[in-house]
Amino acid sequence: MDSAQHSARRRGPLTWVRGGGLTTVVFALPMIIIFGLFSVWPILRSVVMAFQETNLTGTAKWAGLDNFAWVLSDPDLPIAITNTAYFAVLALVFGFPIPLIGAVLMSEVKRLKGFYTTLAYLPAVIPPVVAVLLWRFFYDGAPTGVFNQLLGWIGLGPFPWLNDRLWAMPSLVLEATWAGAGGTVIIYLAALVGVPGELYEAAELDGAGIWRKIWHVTLPQLRGVLFITLILQLIATAQVFLEPYLFTGGGPNKATLTILLMIYNYAFGASLGSDYGAATALSMMLAAFLAVFSLIYFRLTRSWSQS
Amino acid sequence: MSALPTRGNRRREPLVPGDRAAISSFDRRRPTVRTAMALINVVLFVVLVLACFGPLFLLMKFSVTPTQDILRTPMALFPNGVRWENLASAWNEVQINRYFLNTVVIAAGSWFFQMLVCTTGGYVLSVLRPKYASILNALVISTLFVPAVVLLVPLYLTVLNPPLIGHSLLNTYWAVWLPSAASAFNVVIITRFFDSLPREIFEAARVDGAGPFRLFWSVVLPMSKPILGVASVFAIIASWKDFLWPLLVLKQPAIQPLSVRLPAIQAQTDLGVFLAALAISTLVPVLLFLVFQRSFLRGAGMSGAVKG
Amino acid sequence: MSATIRRAIAGLGVVALATTAAACASPTASSPSASQAPTSSAPAAPVNLTVVGLLPGATPEAQKNLANQVKLFEEANPNITVTTKEYEWKATTFAADLAGGTLPDVFEIPFTDAKTLIANGQIADMNDQLGEFPFGGAFNPNVLQYGQGPDGHAYAIPAKSVYGIGLHYNRELFTKAGLDPNKPPTTWDEVRADAKQIADKTKAAGYVQMTQSNTGGWQLTVATYARGGQMETVGADGKATATLDNPGTKAALQFLKDVRWTDNAAGSNFNLDWGTINQAFAAGQIGMYTSGQDVYTSLVQANAIKPDIYGLAMIPLEGDSAGILGGGTMAAVKAGSSDDIRKAAAKWISHWYLSRYTSEKAALAFNQQAFDDKQPVGTPELPMFSDANLEQYRTWIKPLINVPLDHMTDFTSKIGAAKILNEPPVATQDVYAALDPVVQAVFTDKNADIDALLAAANKTAQRAIDKAQR
Repeated sequence: MDSAQHSARRRGPLTWVRGGGLTTVVFALPMIIIFGLFSVWPILRSVVMAFQETNLTGTAKWAGLDNFAWVLSDPDLPIAITNTAYFAVLALVFGFPIPLIGAVLMSEVKRLKGFYTTLAYLPAVIPPVVAVLLWRFFYDGAPTGVFNQLLGWIGLGPFPWLNDRLWAMPSLVLEATWAGAGGTVIIYLAALVGVPGELYEAAELDGAGIWRKIWHVTLPQLRGVLFITLILQLIATAQVFLEPYLFTGGGPNKATLTILLMIYNYAFGASLGSDYGAATALSMMLAAFLAVFSLIYFRLTRSWSQS
Repeated sequence: MSALPTRGNRRREPLVPGDRAAISSFDRRRPTVRTAMALINVVLFVVLVLACFGPLFLLMKFSVTPTQDILRTPMALFPNGVRWENLASAWNEVQINRYFLNTVVIAAGSWFFQMLVCTTGGYVLSVLRPKYASILNALVISTLFVPAVVLLVPLYLTVLNPPLIGHSLLNTYWAVWLPSAASAFNVVIITRFFDSLPREIFEAARVDGAGPFRLFWSVVLPMSKPILGVASVFAIIASWKDFLWPLLVLKQPAIQPLSVRLPAIQAQTDLGVFLAALAISTLVPVLLFLVFQRSFLRGAGMSGAVKG
Repeated sequence: MSATIRRAIAGLGVVALATTAAACASPTASSPSASQAPTSSAPAAPVNLTVVGLLPGATPEAQKNLANQVKLFEEANPNITVTTKEYEWKATTFAADLAGGTLPDVFEIPFTDAKTLIANGQIADMNDQLGEFPFGGAFNPNVLQYGQGPDGHAYAIPAKSVYGIGLHYNRELFTKAGLDPNKPPTTWDEVRADAKQIADKTKAAGYVQMTQSNTGGWQLTVATYARGGQMETVGADGKATATLDNPGTKAALQFLKDVRWTDNAAGSNFNLDWGTINQAFAAGQIGMYTSGQDVYTSLVQANAIKPDIYGLAMIPLEGDSAGILGGGTMAAVKAGSSDDIRKAAAKWISHWYLSRYTSEKAALAFNQQAFDDKQPVGTPELPMFSDANLEQYRTWIKPLINVPLDHMTDFTSKIGAAKILNEPPVATQDVYAALDPVVQAVFTDKNADIDALLAAANKTAQRAIDKAQR
């Protein structure tokens, strides 16, 4: 009709509403509000807060680079960085090969695959707090501690576990690996399914034995998943908080003090003037490091994937 | 990923259908391979049962053992009998039932708000596709790359002093539900799924006169049950596991979930009762897992696919 | 969880005093029947006062009792309406609670944190309201000083569970080890010898101390004061200097090292904070440890200790300036509160916390609840106002006292003569946090270098002090 064409040409707000624009906004509203308020806004605010001194009883004061200077001059920072790196490396050494080997083995056996899969994922289902509290009890340093008793059966002396600088971090990593390996196994299994059977047949035609098939077909096909899992694991372990917090509180003598624990202590530690500026400054530094690290990582692995 | 075989039996292999792996059936006829495979089977069985089931088994055992026995002879086989009262004590006196309920309420609310945000958001990004969809998409995906640590402090201050609402959300469940709804991961997997739905069905529905609401409620959602199942599992598991955030924002013990309360009561609770409390807290997730294995495992495998 | 929370919990609802006349050290002897809560003018306009009530999880009877007291107070003060709030002091989130407006007008804080809160300007000056309190505000100066600012004004008011640190020992383990449970050690050398004997003859840890969540630094400070050392010195200009590497602390750490490594008498678990060391002690795994003298209450309530095994001794004091670290709970009022609120708050604090020292009826009512619940009544406490007042109070509640006082005579007979010392005044929690790793290192590393550890801790503490005093 004449008036409808008229309004269509004008493209006024009424057209927009009639065209379903309002409904779309209504549908988009939950996502916009939630992500805006509780995701995007805090991220932006974090960047700003890193340069402010926030005391909550007053208004936030501009502090320039003071927070960063404070964090960088904290004698605990090098310790936390070393510990976090140590945790990440140990977690990699334990937590990378084991799920891979497990997944490859599980994909090769003919029977009980479902049973194995369920068992492997079981530790991942247990709430992390429960797992940590349980293992903390297992790690009792007395000779009557559960692990000490078990190892005593095969003649290995009682170990201090969480009560010794050298043993504390590996103890944490052991539990973390136990809890996390299952999820990784499942991811690898899913990827292994995607390996085309023809590749194996082609390799067999070339006279490849089992090892060579695995080395030259299975693993390269998994390369993409492996690279992704590796970087994701590194990013996750760089932010480890629960294990150090619940197992040892960062001790003994800062042996398990990680960067996240430092951030937590800055913001929510027992000193009454909560130092939110320092906490956000350190968060920003960690995030920046992870971003740069990820970029370099993707650059490198891209060139490797294409070779 | 290949489609899952639809057979009727319960114990199906979820992820590795009849396709072949590195070892061919020809290989398997060789005696060395046969013995090696048998050996691997045994080793795998023993290691998996001991390592994965062992700690759980010990937990169950300790939950009904008297404390003195746990402290002095933990590996002995019930020298002084079984103590079922540990479980009753944990449930009633330590009030695990209340904290359990809190955990359930928090999980339910988180699930609801996550579903609300992710389905409506995915619908907009995938089906309605307004002009500004790409901006929204970029914003949501960018939050995926920001490590969680960055959010910790400012989110806390936002909850303390939320812009639209007058007062602090601290010590209310809203402080946990609302931030949990901002799950970029779930938005991504749901959007991708919606993208894969055949557009012809939407066209047909529109021709039949369905408006956007009808389309959403009666067409898109019912067709998306599998992905909603996976997203729900993610949401509930993430909520059940959450520790640091509820620790920060739920200060009153009466409303705290299990993950926050259990470490706090350890020093005041008899060891046997405490381990019984741990056992009860583990029971529900494990049972849920055993019943809904397929959703769990499918979701777990999918997280690799998405990030890849 | 931090020590401060646990100390606040321990004081819940049960306070009693135990001093014998023989230890009368305070010169003041105000007669107990002297002026009670003075009747000064009521607030001008109607006032709505929010106050902290009981800890979350309190029994319904305790809630009823509180409601009763509120009613009595409102009847006596018609212009004031009191609303109670469940609130648990947590140093970690106090600032957020204050900013978020979820803090009641009147709330409880541990002695430890009073000075920091005053320095931060987070609690109100109550000096002009001192007249509202019993005996005209004539508190025991030793106790009042914890809540005084650098200007000498009273900001936080002592409220309950005023204690000194004591040496707790397990009488059953003593007997099993061949020691006389009625003769606890009186010097640190004796403590060491007894610890070794306990460890050798029983499987328990002879002597161990807390190590985590700032309680390690707290107890190390206790051990330091007992040897005449000081963690901080404050100059004439008010600037504090960290002296963590003083001889007292070094001696204390050397003592721990010897007990742990030479005698192997400290057991094998060193992740101990206030709650877990209590739990281990009640379970018979520890022979001796130091903690607040009122910890018995918590041992009964939370850890189901058998009263027969409990003994309380005096910490060995060596050196001229040796003293006991004190502690307790104070009541504070939010900064920025109006005059009316502060006046109403003073009246409420007087009524709810302090009226038990002014009338026998109130004293019995205060403790009846705990007695009926079979909770400890009569755990030792330091004088809130004066020794005479304390004695009077103990006499009033004598029918309700159910703690094994005869196991505590070593402590109660000597505490009167001891010097009560304050905690390090500036950045207290940061000093304690800096010392935690030192204690942990000594317990877990055979080759721990005490001097180097203390030097590093001193640097960290000084950093925090400087920042706090900017």
